[in-house]
Amino acid sequence: MSLSAVRAGWASITPALAWTLLFFVAPFLVMAVISLHPQEAGGFSAANYTQFFANPSYWRALTNSLEVTLLVTAVSIVLAYPFAWILATLVPERWQRLALMLAVLPFWTSYVVRSYSWLLVLAEKGIVNDTLIRLGLLAEPAQIANTRLATIIGFSHFFVMLLTLTIYANLKQLSPNYRKAAADLGAGPVRAFLHVVLPLTLPGIMVGAFLTFVLAIGDYITPQILGGNNELLMPQLIMMQIGRRGDFPLASALSIILMVVVSIAYVACARWLKIERA
Amino acid sequence: MVRAVAVVYAGAIYAFIFLPVLVLVLFSFQGTLFPIPPFNGPSLRWYEAVLNDPRLTSALGNSFVVAVTTSGLATLLGFLAAWGLARFELPGGVLLRGLITLPLTVSYLIIGMGLLVFFNALGVPKSLIAAGVGHVVINLPLCFAIVYSQMGEHQANIERAARDLGAAEWQVLALVTAPMLWPALFASFFLSMTFSWDEFVISFLLTRFDTTLPVEIWNLLRAGLNPKTNAVGSMVFGISIVLAIVFELTAFRRRPQ
Amino acid sequence: MTLAAFTRRLAGASFIALAAIGLAAPAGAAEELNALVWCDHSDPNLLKPFEEANGAKVNVKEFEGTGAGLAIVEQSKPGDWDVMVIDSIDVRRGVDRGLFEPLPEDKLPLADLFPEVKMDAATMFGGKRYGITEKFGYNTVGYNKAKVDAADMQSLAVLTGDKYKGRIAIYDYYLPVIGMAAMAIGKKTADLTEADLPAIRDVLFKMKANAKAVTDVVASQTALATGEADILVGGGEWVTAGIAKENPDLDFSIPKEGAVLWSQSLAMFKDSKKKDLALKFIQYVLSPEGQARLATSSCYWGMPANTKASLSDDQKRILRFAEQPDFLKRAQGYPAPSEALDKKMQDLWTEMIQAK
Repeated sequence: MSLSAVRAGWASITPALAWTLLFFVAPFLVMAVISLHPQEAGGFSAANYTQFFANPSYWRALTNSLEVTLLVTAVSIVLAYPFAWILATLVPERWQRLALMLAVLPFWTSYVVRSYSWLLVLAEKGIVNDTLIRLGLLAEPAQIANTRLATIIGFSHFFVMLLTLTIYANLKQLSPNYRKAAADLGAGPVRAFLHVVLPLTLPGIMVGAFLTFVLAIGDYITPQILGGNNELLMPQLIMMQIGRRGDFPLASALSIILMVVVSIAYVACARWLKIERA
Repeated sequence: MVRAVAVVYAGAIYAFIFLPVLVLVLFSFQGTLFPIPPFNGPSLRWYEAVLNDPRLTSALGNSFVVAVTTSGLATLLGFLAAWGLARFELPGGVLLRGLITLPLTVSYLIIGMGLLVFFNALGVPKSLIAAGVGHVVINLPLCFAIVYSQMGEHQANIERAARDLGAAEWQVLALVTAPMLWPALFASFFLSMTFSWDEFVISFLLTRFDTTLPVEIWNLLRAGLNPKTNAVGSMVFGISIVLAIVFELTAFRRRPQ
Repeated sequence: MTLAAFTRRLAGASFIALAAIGLAAPAGAAEELNALVWCDHSDPNLLKPFEEANGAKVNVKEFEGTGAGLAIVEQSKPGDWDVMVIDSIDVRRGVDRGLFEPLPEDKLPLADLFPEVKMDAATMFGGKRYGITEKFGYNTVGYNKAKVDAADMQSLAVLTGDKYKGRIAIYDYYLPVIGMAAMAIGKKTADLTEADLPAIRDVLFKMKANAKAVTDVVASQTALATGEADILVGGGEWVTAGIAKENPDLDFSIPKEGAVLWSQSLAMFKDSKKKDLALKFIQYVLSPEGQARLATSSCYWGMPANTKASLSDDQKRILRFAEQPDFLKRAQGYPAPSEALDKKMQDLWTEMIQAK
């Protein structure tokens, strides 16, 4: 490769690289340094981190976050997979695009408003309880709003759609011949699915699951609006440090702990997250 | 039998997906203060209230400007980087690719927090521009990944042909590569806009007086219960649908083939 | 080379485009006032008359706790801010940091204020006034009288007993609710020390066990309005008055143990470059008209500090204006912890929320 070509290559990636270094890597390093300067004690120490692990109400935020996020991920996969499969195999080809559009459409509303709408839907006098009572399925309203269940429902709403898209895309790449071949070799539909289709759609599941994990574990709005503050998740704990006390060092330390957790998830999913070129 | 189960299941999922949105739109026409049953509309009073709220209307404008500008910038930077890394074998290329896509694997809250303490340390005041910088950070890797995944060998051959015919490097890029990658560029821009338009936490942390719509809606929510929130949500929904249809009719129809 | 120049130019152009976002913002009126406020000051109904009368624009930034508000100031350049809304008891924290400018007492309607809310001990230092109370009210027991027995609401014991288990919501602000917990066990909010925290912790945990949710301003209103909860710990006129028209059953009581008095003050920044306009703003907010608009702001209602506020009879009834002398006699101020105790109280609050 000629020298000028190398120059052209570098020149074209420099803006993106500079942007990432300046506005992503550098802020992260600044945050790491600040997290080591506790607001009260001053000086240079790991007090913010030791405090996190010493105080059960702090680290419970992390375990709460992990529980909720993993549950949301699992529920969303289980709900989305059959739906994606129906869209990809049972819906006639020319209607599929429309069917997908329809599934994405509701997410063009503002996401803050959508969470708030869920709160009203799930409230004691909300439409869900109202309908169930009118149908005689419930004697008195069930407590759904302001619970962990409400947070999980609110999250799953978005991530079922997201996972449907990634799994659908994956299913469409599979040739129907795989299943036929499996059938010819004597596999029943269940075995064909478990041993052929499911492994081949694992990349779609994992990409969607990773996105779900990263987006859900860092989200403040959904638990704050729907969870009724009956427990705190990590983003709520972080925002509390900023909103109430302006304690940036502690908020930085908590953010870095959250970052470590997300990185672990990334390493676990890394083999499915490669960007392939056409 | 399978079909019947499938229809019921798909119907249930669609109902789940549409439920909060239908309720949202219905109660935006509520006549009284509480957006909960019983419905006693229809009334347009909350729409009128939204249009008469200068904070909401200016936030709507801000959101639009931020979404368009940052998506344009993210698409441009992502495209250039993708081209550089796909066409030239640079030392450490894998590493560079990893670095550019890294923000994709980090929660928005962490990116927003990082920029907040970073700008504080530098004495940069909070502003829409600061939030815009954050939006480019989250969308750049996305644009890069989309464009990079569409860069095949056959395009490289056409570029080589253009170069042989005497085109300068920037002419190749602007007149040959970019038009060939039009669908990928368009998808990047469109997706970035969607994310920027609805992004909350970064804008919340980094703006001061002028802010984006999601943050203003959050302020509205904190300011008391009323169907104004439903009305502004329904209006955003309406605008988005119209935009989506316009894009669908113009952009996707002109795709090559 | 050409390409490098090309990309540079493009990058430059995008920076300019991005910068243009900032410039594209409306140039606005001649003068701007930067105000650090609570959500009740964002109501256009309150700001418009002032803006029109003075040909100025008021830029508002909302914040939650005093700590966060002071952090915003510290991260700004001197002179960025002109006025601030702050808990009356926290005026001292701003004065300690040397942020505030003394207010000219002769130019303010001090004589018209409810005497109990002037709070000279908290707002005057070295003979100078640094904050003037503009609005107040009570953190007490808010409830839906169609759903509960109003007689039960006369004692704080109802919050820790199990008669209304699962029908209670707790207002998500640690200071007033900790104050109420202290009063429930006969302690004075002004004298709290670290030694009192274990006993307060017990009360808070019993309340939490009874509670359905710990709710912010709007969630509190929603919870009462939608029947999600029938009792709001820390509630008061600020949550019930604004929605009284829609649901006249919402009410509040001052129980026999008393209630916590909340009180917000306006302060002016020492480094403000627009002190004249800032003073005009403070004068406007404390005028009878400004007071009425602030008292009935869309975010939350509250009692005007000025007894001459031009409220309608209906509004006065909803705010229980006539009963104020009795209420004020029985109310105690917010706890005013040192910064170290404040951190302990916040940690206690986090612990309560996280309790299973």
